[in-house]
Amino acid sequence: MTVAEVTLTINGISVTVPKGTTVLEAARQAGVFIPTFCHDPELTKFGACRMCVVEIPGMRNLPASCVTEATDGMVVHADSPAVQEARKVILELMLANHPMDCLTCGKNGDCRLQDYAYMYGVKTEPFEGEKHSYPLEDDNPFIVRDMNKCILCGKCVRACAEIQGKSIVDFAYRGFDAKITPAMDVPLSASECVFCGNCVAVCPVGALQEKGLRAAARTWEVQKVKTTCPYCGTGCSFELNVKDNKVVGVTSCDGDVNGRALCVKGRFGYGFIHHPDRLTTPLIKKDGVFVEASWDEAIGLVAAKLGQVKEQHGSESLAVLSSARCTNEENYLLQKFTRAVLGTNSIDHCARL
Amino acid sequence: MSYVSLTINGINIKVSKGTTVLDAARQAGIFIPTLCHDPAIPRFGACRICVVEIPGMRNLPASCVTECTEGMQVFTESPAVVEARKTILELLLANHPQDCLTCDRNGDCRLQDYAFRYGVKESGFTGERKDYPLDDSNPYIIRDANKCILCGRCVRTCNAIAERSVIDFGYRGFGTKIVTAMDTPLGESDCVYCGRCVTVCPVGALTWKPLAGKGRTWEMSRQEVTCTFCDSGCTFEVLSKNGQNIGVVPKEPGSGRPLCLKGRLGLELKYLDEPAAPQLKKDGEFVEVSWAEALGLEDILSKLTK
Repeated sequence: MTVAEVTLTINGISVTVPKGTTVLEAARQAGVFIPTFCHDPELTKFGACRMCVVEIPGMRNLPASCVTEATDGMVVHADSPAVQEARKVILELMLANHPMDCLTCGKNGDCRLQDYAYMYGVKTEPFEGEKHSYPLEDDNPFIVRDMNKCILCGKCVRACAEIQGKSIVDFAYRGFDAKITPAMDVPLSASECVFCGNCVAVCPVGALQEKGLRAAARTWEVQKVKTTCPYCGTGCSFELNVKDNKVVGVTSCDGDVNGRALCVKGRFGYGFIHHPDRLTTPLIKKDGVFVEASWDEAIGLVAAKLGQVKEQHGSESLAVLSSARCTNEENYLLQKFTRAVLGTNSIDHCARL
Repeated sequence: MSYVSLTINGINIKVSKGTTVLDAARQAGIFIPTLCHDPAIPRFGACRICVVEIPGMRNLPASCVTECTEGMQVFTESPAVVEARKTILELLLANHPQDCLTCDRNGDCRLQDYAFRYGVKESGFTGERKDYPLDDSNPYIIRDANKCILCGRCVRTCNAIAERSVIDFGYRGFGTKIVTAMDTPLGESDCVYCGRCVTVCPVGALTWKPLAGKGRTWEMSRQEVTCTFCDSGCTFEVLSKNGQNIGVVPKEPGSGRPLCLKGRLGLELKYLDEPAAPQLKKDGEFVEVSWAEALGLEDILSKLTK
């Protein structure tokens, strides 16, 4: 079966896409830039922020490209004067009620509102009026919520419902008072939130920030190192944020297994890396006190004790539980060791519990 | 050479006599913030952000102009020091535009760095604010006196070359401002646009006009190059964004020689992916022309192609 295709022209570039493709997706395929706030390829189409408006002759007004389906013969102008003017006004309206504190904002340098304001040269706030003055919510150890910076794009709402399946936050109140809240407008800490931080990963501005990371470093000061989460067998990918040779936080990247989704342990459980209590050498109890030992000494001791148990009580008196924090190769070696050296089939894995 | 021993934050350090506390701290790997200090033109002591606590001294001295003495004890981040620095930052921010949003120096600004470090989110002081017009009267440098913190680095850098000395402090008190002679725009002064002032400006008061709106610091990579137009060997940086070379800015002058405009413009032609096209005045208006036309080589070229 062949997929029906449509051919359209975007900024003079002809592009052929499968029927049902949006103008935004077609533009990205053609390498034409269109700014977005509320759009996310992993989430349902929303069409709220209007930043992605384009000009399509014959249409009544400037449609949002993220929710407009491409049709055959369609002509699209993604950066015409009318489009630029509309985007500028949208930015001015957003900035009319946004704190001007990039100076110390943790998202400075990784903020779409800032990127687009710079791109379209929106320097001032021509609209004056009431501004939100919500208190900062930082009573939990993981996420700082600043609803004064929220642009109500609703990505966090959809990420919570569609990626994490928790639906903790949603839109509440109306008009100027519209706000993202958990049920009954309680803080996240009093809600059913599991602090996976997947809302933080999709927030395009500074409304949701990782508490530790954003206080420790600005976005351009960190080196990002992609790695695999060591906590369980799922194998999520993420980026360690490294500043001055120290891990200061974790951010999502586009992982093969997990996309940008992570759990609370993966995203926020990096404190052990540089923790002063972390064990860095083996310890052996001598005269009732743990003392540091060499690896040779420690492995020698374990080997001698295991051999002793096997000799005195037989192989079936031994059992092994291996860990999801080990690699496949290490787990393979452990079961090989259990069966071939210890001589028992009693081996299990914590991921089965 | 005679030496003195002192203690900075509990670390014992030995330095040659005459060394400033700031230099000694940096030798010991201890961070002290500075705005007006420049290793090439040191000892100005204007901004006070480098103050430290030295028991026995009357107040918090500026470490950039305080010489180390034998047995001296220095605390660089004591509560009193941190409080002083916060107040200095609040005073600076009381009269500084809050427009990091679109500032071309966002991400490469010491005022921002230190405000973040010391958690100074807003100024506790309200009062009159400067409202100077933007000076973009020349093709190279944009001067925004509203963002100037009067550290004087541009003045000292410019005055280090005798025949330059184009700018200096003008007026008094709140009206103090960095000015050219007679407070004319830079475009009407003797400025040759070597750009050393822009290179040393710690904030967004001096920025590159050809780069305005073209990219923030974290979007660009920098490659150091040596100028090839004379034998002085000044160094420049080629800035690139998304794989395109978009600008050339001065870095360090060669010995005994300031960075010249010829070097920078020449390097732009050499390195930029889209260097400015030549222009010729035709009927009183500048119009873009080909290099062949600008250099009067059309006749020779046509013969060569024949």
